[in-house]
Amino acid sequence: MTPKKLKNYSYYPGCSLHASGREYDISTRALFKALNIGLKEVPDWFCCGATPAHNVDELLSLSLCAKNLVLAEEVEGDLAVACAACFSRLKTTQHHLKVDDEKRAQVEKAIAGPATIAKPVKHILEILVRDLGLAKLEESVKKPLFGLKVACYYGCLLTRPPEVPELDDCEDPSIMEDLLRALGAEPVSWSHRMECCGANFTLSRPDVVLHLSDAILRSAQAAGADCVMVACPLCHGNLDIRQEAIENRSQEKYDLPIFYITQLAALAMGVDDDKLGFDSVIVDPRPMLMDKELI
Amino acid sequence: MKNKLMHLSNETINLDFVNKVEKLSGSSVRRCMQCGKCSAGCPMATFMEHPPNRIVRLLQLGQGKRILAGRSIWYCASCETCTTRCPNTVNLAAIMDALRKLSWDADGPSKESYVQLANRLFIENIRTYGRQYEMRLGAVFNLRSGRLLKDFLLGPKLISRGKLKVFHQKNRNLDEIEAIFSRIEEMRKKGEAL
Amino acid sequence: MSRIGVFVCHCGENISRTVDVERVAGEAAQLPGVAYSCDYKYMCSDPGQNLLKKALAEHNLDGVLVAACSPRMHEKTFRKAAQSAGLNPYLCDMGNIREHCSWVHEDREAATAKASDIVKLMVERVKRGKALAPITVPVTKRALVIGGGIAGIQAALDIADAGKEVILVEREPSIGGHMAQLSETFPTLDCSQCIMTPKMVDVANHPNITLYTYAEIEKVDGYIGNFQVTIRRKARSVVEDKCTGCGVCTSKCPKKKIPNEFDQNLGMRSAIYVPFPQAVPNTPVIDRENCTMFQSGKCGVCAKVCGPQAIDYEQQDTLVVEAVGAVVVATGFKLYSIDRKPEESPIKGYGEFGYGLIPDVIDGLTFERLASASGPTGGKILRPSDGKEPRQVVFIQCVGSRAREKGISYCSKICCMYTAKHTMLYRHKVHDGQAYVFYMDARTPGKGYDEFWRRAVEVEDAVYIRGMVSRLYQRDGKIVVMGSDTLVGVQVEIEADLVVLATAVQAQDGADLLAQKLGISYDKYNFYSEAHAKLKPVECATAGIYLAGACQGPKDIPDTVSQASAAAAKVITLFSKDQLERDPVVAKVNEKYCVGCLQCKKVCPYGAVEEKEIRDRQGNLVKVVANVNAGVCGGCGTCQATCPSKSVELDGYTDEQIMAMIEAL
Repeated sequence: MTPKKLKNYSYYPGCSLHASGREYDISTRALFKALNIGLKEVPDWFCCGATPAHNVDELLSLSLCAKNLVLAEEVEGDLAVACAACFSRLKTTQHHLKVDDEKRAQVEKAIAGPATIAKPVKHILEILVRDLGLAKLEESVKKPLFGLKVACYYGCLLTRPPEVPELDDCEDPSIMEDLLRALGAEPVSWSHRMECCGANFTLSRPDVVLHLSDAILRSAQAAGADCVMVACPLCHGNLDIRQEAIENRSQEKYDLPIFYITQLAALAMGVDDDKLGFDSVIVDPRPMLMDKELI
Repeated sequence: MKNKLMHLSNETINLDFVNKVEKLSGSSVRRCMQCGKCSAGCPMATFMEHPPNRIVRLLQLGQGKRILAGRSIWYCASCETCTTRCPNTVNLAAIMDALRKLSWDADGPSKESYVQLANRLFIENIRTYGRQYEMRLGAVFNLRSGRLLKDFLLGPKLISRGKLKVFHQKNRNLDEIEAIFSRIEEMRKKGEAL
Repeated sequence: MSRIGVFVCHCGENISRTVDVERVAGEAAQLPGVAYSCDYKYMCSDPGQNLLKKALAEHNLDGVLVAACSPRMHEKTFRKAAQSAGLNPYLCDMGNIREHCSWVHEDREAATAKASDIVKLMVERVKRGKALAPITVPVTKRALVIGGGIAGIQAALDIADAGKEVILVEREPSIGGHMAQLSETFPTLDCSQCIMTPKMVDVANHPNITLYTYAEIEKVDGYIGNFQVTIRRKARSVVEDKCTGCGVCTSKCPKKKIPNEFDQNLGMRSAIYVPFPQAVPNTPVIDRENCTMFQSGKCGVCAKVCGPQAIDYEQQDTLVVEAVGAVVVATGFKLYSIDRKPEESPIKGYGEFGYGLIPDVIDGLTFERLASASGPTGGKILRPSDGKEPRQVVFIQCVGSRAREKGISYCSKICCMYTAKHTMLYRHKVHDGQAYVFYMDARTPGKGYDEFWRRAVEVEDAVYIRGMVSRLYQRDGKIVVMGSDTLVGVQVEIEADLVVLATAVQAQDGADLLAQKLGISYDKYNFYSEAHAKLKPVECATAGIYLAGACQGPKDIPDTVSQASAAAAKVITLFSKDQLERDPVVAKVNEKYCVGCLQCKKVCPYGAVEEKEIRDRQGNLVKVVANVNAGVCGGCGTCQATCPSKSVELDGYTDEQIMAMIEAL
């Protein structure tokens, strides 16, 4: 008999969290377990279409997301989303279908049924900072991340365009920093919190990604960060997987571990570091964490 | 094309195209005052021959052809910075989506083959598998783009870390996904959707 | 021994940054006759003035020198302060150690030495100063308004409504000016005539307004409160008192093919004509150059058909002299004419736009007449060459304006807005027509103005192209416009049916000559100069003369009306006093030594010197001497410098004072 959960959420992991961003999924589940929050995956969910779909076919993009929102109705609880891109697409769909009757009619025709858009779609950050609350979070911390200087990287889609994610101020957000402070870590003030990393050009034009992500890593390092915290598997991939290529290109040494928000949060909640997928990433954070006596 | 003399007249100003863009994007192009704030903050502007403000300018002049003749629209990263900061609520990110769709429909007169190929494979993947099959995405991209050695050294690293799965399960509800694709195609054939 | 007080101001850091003010004050204390000296951060501030007042009482001072900014800035301030502490204000003087010293020097040592020198010599002047009393002169409470456009009309009505008499002089046969020519006005698109003509009628009917149309200023004498103005009433050839305005003469006149100036020469008028139907007064005038009767003596039709026998071919120009106390100058503007040869204009060039060779290249005012319901086309937009409706109209802004080398350096201010309006008027009349505007900047700083321009772009479909046009030429009945879009960075070519040039706003013809008659200053473009760009925007430097409207610089209607009302308020303020106080710094003649050579009369720029006969008790003429009219004297000192017998002296600037200053150096 498992103890009664504080709250239950339905869960849309998204494609990346089952593959290149698996440690995001692993750490999310571990964190929720540690916080005694229920997380149940939406059965048969499929790709939200991400950037490529809306880039060339908005109707397809909206329809794919609308169908996923219908599938999510089968599971109890607000829909928790970890990937910033999936979150953005699902929220965008809800927004468009709410304000545009013509689009809604087209989408309902495409999915052959009513589009249900009432279920709140929530990013993990929102669940931690708003639903659970900073006080409760602080209370639950078992291993505070003292001395860890973190550059919070929001990327594009957590805050833009402001009417869609409704997560935080679009030019000066603080939700990640608030979370980190509750965990005992020290967010650094830096310039590239919301600059683009190059996103899905990672497949087609990696040169673009190297150019943009370089500026981000450079700024984080200049601000004295020990690491970067992200909320998006694509950002993670560009900053972590391509970090070596970026270093080769710019002749700089960054050596900045890239964490998912859930990895740091779970670590602070006392989750064992070998259960957070640190072995999956390219820039191994463990030496740095050991150095700071956090693991 | 980029620097060619522009004849302006009721005949050469293609308002049809502009109206389609405005309809698809839900955003006016005339509201734009050409302040250039979009281009100022665009992370991709250095990769474009027409920076974002010029794209809107060309739309104001009904010069869709000129836009589609270039590859700028494919370098937009959809970061939404332009839309967020526009002082006159021109939704440039949505306009870019609309332009790419119109280019896509016309079978890609605007050429940025790598980006287009990646988009195509990504969408094909959804139709075939339901969820993204990243391993296949990368492999087929390299194969079709002829850049076989792209990220050659990265692959094994990612596989060993479990980041790339060699085998991929298809969704159980693939028929429902396929139905969405085919219904949209049907609607477009009947002219019920743009 | 004098007891002078010296006050050295820091002017924040304006002076103390470069001048060692403490040292200047210290050195001043050593000067003979100086009883007190100090330095202070802001002498003009309340505490600064109190310091001065307190020192005056405590040290029993009999003269004050404030070493600070220019006397133009604060002489009044300190004289008032000194007066309130019981000192004659003219015993308080200023030494300029800011504009003349700290602002123009960098070397601290040298600047401090110079400041000390300035203090030293000014102290000598103050020592020899005289207590003076202000001069009072009477005020004639009638105003002259020159120009009967909207500016002059507004000023005249405001002054007249305040119960003062107004003489309104207009050069043309009717009042109304340019505003009467306009179709609709920005930013509300109300019909110009509809809001203008009631005001014109008000002028005609106002009991306090005397209206002279077809009249010009011949001569202006006198000074503030006491001007004598000679007005030339040009021969109208129609007796105004007899004419009923029935219009038979104009309809019967056999000479009808004269281009109508009011319609920018698009329509035709007769030789005896009323410029436009709503003219005030509705009295015709004979254009003698085009009248057959005047040219060959054979016609006389108008005289024959005139019932009240108002036609008078023998009428001559008459001169009227009016006494007024204030003058409002409201002579308006003209547009740079595109058919003008460049040698006659400050604008050199624009041959590339055809110099009027292409009939369908017109200016903004001409477009107004085309769009006006009372215009030559009845409000239809038809191009001049063939009377066809243009399908594509190109508007070009900044023709002549903002072109330092080819034209004029200033912005004509009204063109952005009227061009936006033109595109709307065109769209309202030709629904499927397309308007293009070539512009460098859209300058719309007015209430509701930017919204108006955006409406032209976003709602009325005007295509604005940021860039200039290089050249216009004709091809197959069209005008090829070679332009560029600097936003895209491409050359643009448009085949236009009609091209409208927003040509530069210039000062009215003859503005310089009128300024010379009035004794007011004007800039190199003949726009009249205000006394202070910010704080005295409606006053001229010449007392009693005020400015209204575009004669001062390009202005739109709201700004013009505001300024006209402001000028009227200034006139009314002046008329609220029976006597005027004037600065007593005027020249005085020592009649004992004056030999009556009257050299001073020749050089006086104010016309203040008159001859005066000195007679003995029996009435025999003893001698003729010069006499200075204190009311007119401007205190410039030219007479003093000229007088061979040293018998003219300017109070406050006597030879003794000046010599002492020189010796002190």
